[in-house]
Amino acid sequence: MSLLVITIGLFSLGLYGILIRRDLVAILASIEVMLGSATLLLVGLAAAGTPMGTHEGAVEATGVMVIVLAAAEAAIGLALVISVARRFKTTRVDELAEVKG
Amino acid sequence: MSLESVIFAVLGIVAVSGGIVTVFARDVSRMAMGLGAFLVAVAGFFVYWGATFLGIVQLFVYIGGVLVLMIFAIMLVHRSPDGSPTIESRHDVAAIAVAGGLFFMVVTALRGVVPDSVDQGITSGPAELNEAFLGPMLTHFEMGGVLLLAVLVAVVVILGGDER
Repeated sequence: MSLLVITIGLFSLGLYGILIRRDLVAILASIEVMLGSATLLLVGLAAAGTPMGTHEGAVEATGVMVIVLAAAEAAIGLALVISVARRFKTTRVDELAEVKG
Repeated sequence: MSLESVIFAVLGIVAVSGGIVTVFARDVSRMAMGLGAFLVAVAGFFVYWGATFLGIVQLFVYIGGVLVLMIFAIMLVHRSPDGSPTIESRHDVAAIAVAGGLFFMVVTALRGVVPDSVDQGITSGPAELNEAFLGPMLTHFEMGGVLLLAVLVAVVVILGGDER
């Protein structure tokens, strides 16, 4: 129960950060908190004895894949943030209301 | 109170404190430090549960890669000549309702599924991970490599596009 409360609490905290923050870098940091808490729940469930697939190393392999996906997401996200900051001279989401196709 | 529960409590307090600092800090450097504390605590949980290799990967990739990348982005983007840069937040009832509602909904739904104690631990190590990646999860492994290559090209295109 404590594992569930900690991980889902951190996930909700990250969601709250995405909703209240007005800066792109801060929103990305909140997304990292959500991803970290989801990985924590996955590994915690495996450590608690919940069956996770047929292979013994499947949990660690899935954890590594989630970390790789998070690293890719952070790289793309930060590149977009830098590109937006160069073009519009701001990273505030309030001021980035216009989108051109 | 056993040593295991003390370690679990300390790691949990560090993780939650880091998450709170990440979400609520107005100063970007404090936000990065909070995120670092959160990620270190997550790596600590992995090592504590027996997934040592995953903890090391978490330290290397997240703290050595993603966090440093984020600090570089902060240095490039948040350049303010007067004083320390601050981040604005807009707290409102709707955001609290959405986040709190999600928390209670998921906790209620998973309460019967998640065990009370994490006592078994993860017994598999790098050898089993190797067998998984070169056996049943070979497609995932290859797709991860292709994804990273695509991300590399995409980052070059996104950042190089401004100079054209």
